[in-house]
Order: sequence, then C-alpha cells, then structure tokens
Amino acid sequence: MIKSFLISGSGGQGILSIGTILANIFMLNDLFVTYCSCYGAEMRGGAVNCEINMSDSELYSIQNTKVDFLIALNQASLDKFISKVKENGIIIVNSSLAKINKTRNDIKYIFAPLTQQASSLGNIKFANSIALGILSKILNNFPIENVKKAYEKFLSNKTELIQKNIEAYLLGYNSIKEIN
Amino acid sequence: MNQKELLKGNIAIAKAAINCGCKCYFGYPITPQTEIGEYLSNEMEKRNLAYVCAESEIAAINMCIGASSSGAKTMTSSSSCAVSLMQEAISYACSDELPIVIVNVMRAGPGQGYIYPSQGDYDQSTIGGGNGDYRIICLSPSTVQECIDMTYKAFYLAQKYKNPTILLLDGLLGQMAEPAIINDNPYEEIDNSSWVLKGAKNRPSRQINSLEPNQTKLNSHIFKMFEKYKQLEENEQDYEDFMCDDADIIICAFGSLARCAKDLCSYYRQKGIKMGLFRPKTLYPFPNKKLEELSLRAKLFIDIEMNMGQMLRDVRLTISHNAKISFIGKPVGDWLKKEELIDAIDKILKENYATSL
Repeated sequence: MIKSFLISGSGGQGILSIGTILANIFMLNDLFVTYCSCYGAEMRGGAVNCEINMSDSELYSIQNTKVDFLIALNQASLDKFISKVKENGIIIVNSSLAKINKTRNDIKYIFAPLTQQASSLGNIKFANSIALGILSKILNNFPIENVKKAYEKFLSNKTELIQKNIEAYLLGYNSIKEIN
Repeated sequence: MNQKELLKGNIAIAKAAINCGCKCYFGYPITPQTEIGEYLSNEMEKRNLAYVCAESEIAAINMCIGASSSGAKTMTSSSSCAVSLMQEAISYACSDELPIVIVNVMRAGPGQGYIYPSQGDYDQSTIGGGNGDYRIICLSPSTVQECIDMTYKAFYLAQKYKNPTILLLDGLLGQMAEPAIINDNPYEEIDNSSWVLKGAKNRPSRQINSLEPNQTKLNSHIFKMFEKYKQLEENEQDYEDFMCDDADIIICAFGSLARCAKDLCSYYRQKGIKMGLFRPKTLYPFPNKKLEELSLRAKLFIDIEMNMGQMLRDVRLTISHNAKISFIGKPVGDWLKKEELIDAIDKILKENYATSL
C-alpha cells in the first residue's frame, strides 16, 4: 500500500526539514520510503516543496500526479497544490497564513493555526513540527522513540532545538481528536 | 553491520567514493550534483585527502589526468553541459589509459538547457564526445543503493581496464533520498605498479602521453585499446531482467526511469498482459547478448527514455531483426509519471494488438 505526501510552504519554514524527518521516521519504522525535494534556484521566501512516498513493499515510482496528503504552510502553496490532492485525500492547512476556505468538497481539511501555536512555544519556526505531529496522528502514530531518533539525527548539530521540536510535534499530535 | 541511512543519491556517491579509497577529487559546482563536491570538501579535508574546487571543469578533468597518472584513485563529478567541456580531456585520458571516475548527474540540454532531470547524455557517454577512436565504460544506477554499489564498481572497472569510467544518473536520482546501506567495497584492489608515474628510481623511465608520431605505433596502440574493449564487451555486460521470463512485451529503460517501469509491469500483469522490464546496468558495454536472447521470445519491445531516443539506437541494432520496437520519450523536465506512461503504452498496445484490448 503506497501513501504519498506533499509538503509545501515558503523557504525558511522548514519544509525540507520536516520532509527529511518524516522520511527518516518511515525508515526507522522499517517502511520503504522515497524523498524528493524540489531543487534549483530557490531562495528564502520562495516556494519550496518536497514529495515523499511510503510503502510496506518496495517502492518504484518516485513522483506522482496526485498525492494522498498535503501539508500547506501558507496560502500560495495551498493554491498551487490543492488540485494535486487525490479524492478523499487529507490536507493540513496552516490557517495562520491561509484562509479557512474549503474550495473542494471531496477532500478532508484540517485547519490549524500552526504559526500562532508555534509562536506560543517561543518561535514561529516550530510550525512545521506541529504539522508533522498532526500528520503523524492521522497516520495512526509511530512509536515516539523513532520520532525522537529522527529529530536527534536531523538536529545532531543543533541539539538545543530537539526538545522544543518534539514539544511542538506533541502539541500537534495531541491537538487532533478525530478527522471530519 | 552497517546501518540503513536515508541518503541522497549525490551524497551516497560521495560517501562510497571515500569508502573505496578515492584519494583525489577535482570538480566545479553545478546543479544538480553540487552536493557531491560539497560533501567531499569537508570529508576529504578531515582525512587529509586531496580536494580541489577547480577554476573550471576543464581544469578539473585535467587535474584528474595528472593525479591519476601518479596512481591515485581519482574522481570528478559534473553535469551535462559541463561534462561537455571535459570531452577533450576524456579522449586524452582514454588514450593515456587512465582510470578516472567521472560522475555525470544529468540535467536537460542541449546547450545550457536547465537543471531539470534528463537522460540526454546517453550518446555522449557511450559513444563519446571527444575525438578519435575510444570507448568509455558507462554505468547507470537506478536506486540510491545502486549509486553506492556502482561507485565501487566504477572505480574497480576503471582500474581493471585502465579506462575512464562514467557513472551516469539523472538529476532526480542525484537529488532524491531513500534508505540505503553504505556497505564495504566488495572489489579487490588492482595492482597498478606496472604503469604509474611515481619516480623512476631503480627502473627505466616511463611516459604517459597520447602523442604518437609513429604511424605503426599509433595503430598498434589503438588496436591494443580495442582489444581491451572487446574484453569489456565479452565480460562486463550487466543488466537486470525483471519479470522477463514469460513476457510477451518488454520495456527497455535505464537509470531511474527504469524503476518507474517496474510499476508498469505489475499494472499490466494485473490486466493479463505479460510485461517485463529489461534494464541495462552497463550502458557501455551495452548488454546486447541478453537482449538478443529475450527478443527470441518477446515480440514487442517498448523503449522508454527521458530523451528523444538515444539508447533506442542500441536496442534497434541488437534486436530489430527479431522484434518490433516502439519508443516513448520525453526529453526535459518532469519525470515521466506512471499515468502518462500508461496512456502512451495503451496507445502502442492498441496499434499492435487491436483486438486484445
């Protein structure tokens, strides 16, 4: 069973960081995974996205026409990628930076004020980890040890940020009761 | 036991190069392969190995000629339009019989093109872009794990056959990440003491030089090189045949596009169409023996490439007398996605088997 994810936002929001961390979490849970980021002449503030495929059997395809999950951390990326979500797909929107507006009725929306929530944790940069927590809850969770391991590996030279990011992850994780 | 890591293709190549004893790296940054040089700039300094960010690709490949002449395992990496700049030196290195490893992470051309993934350098890599009679060993990985394994193999074949070797992958494979294991180099070390230039104390002097004014000697030098290429074609053809045993239709594809084609095989088999995949791992020597064998059974071959049909020529040369060959190609930009390929293949199948679909 293949599941595909698209994470998007603007440069500096940590899109590629949580993409890499998510891919590592999948790997640590013995799943097959491919991670593919946009590359080239991007800059801080420009559009950034990455695409991740996860499967319990060997993965061949890397990029998809449609994805199951979209995380959009700002309005521009929501507008750009909303059409790429499959029917019955799930989309996590940062409602601090995007309008709460359901333009499609064949997909499930989760609106969360990620930037505000992150700011209450001390830095708006934690918005990405909150989104990852929400996604993880929807995916029916992963052992928290593996999540910690993935963060520890990614932030191995910024260890002071690990704890705060995991707090942010858990904030997102616990903020979702059920999806409508 | 080596651990599974989430690795980008580019980083995997850089790590494998260090692991198998690459002593010298010379290169110049260009998207989509810059991570190779970036990674090596740190790691080689730590290990007291030679890393030079050259002033140009022409300088880099010529530095490779120098370092390789002294017997050091040498690598450079670049991308399409900049590999074009290296062609003169590659021709020299073939004549000089130097085991240089050249990584080409392809971007779209011709000319300057852009950084989108492409497979447009098949011709340049296998036929060559320099002057004179020569061949270059060319390996084509399709997963990050193969990036590692084939880096080892590239160094090994280069040393064994004393010939430049190209590791050819597209920008997408260089940039994507997936779990892979940095295993140990499985190949033996090749003794190079009979030809390297390390000082002539207690032995007659040697020269490494492609200039040969004597016509007879130049002829015999090239004959000797081609004797080597004959050996390569005889012994080093490598391929993967996926679901080919009972296949009626076989897709031919190389590199990262070939892995996408594996999904197609399962898709069509569920519909009752026996499809398989033939994937050359060595582009030169092209694995024509196995392909010809497959063409005795399967009657339709579909060649899929991210270019306008470069490997297609080798496929045609090998099997056009036995089987029908169709082609699907898109030179630039986005990956050929599964749905896109299915549309194109359905069309080909309708043309060939109007009744069965």
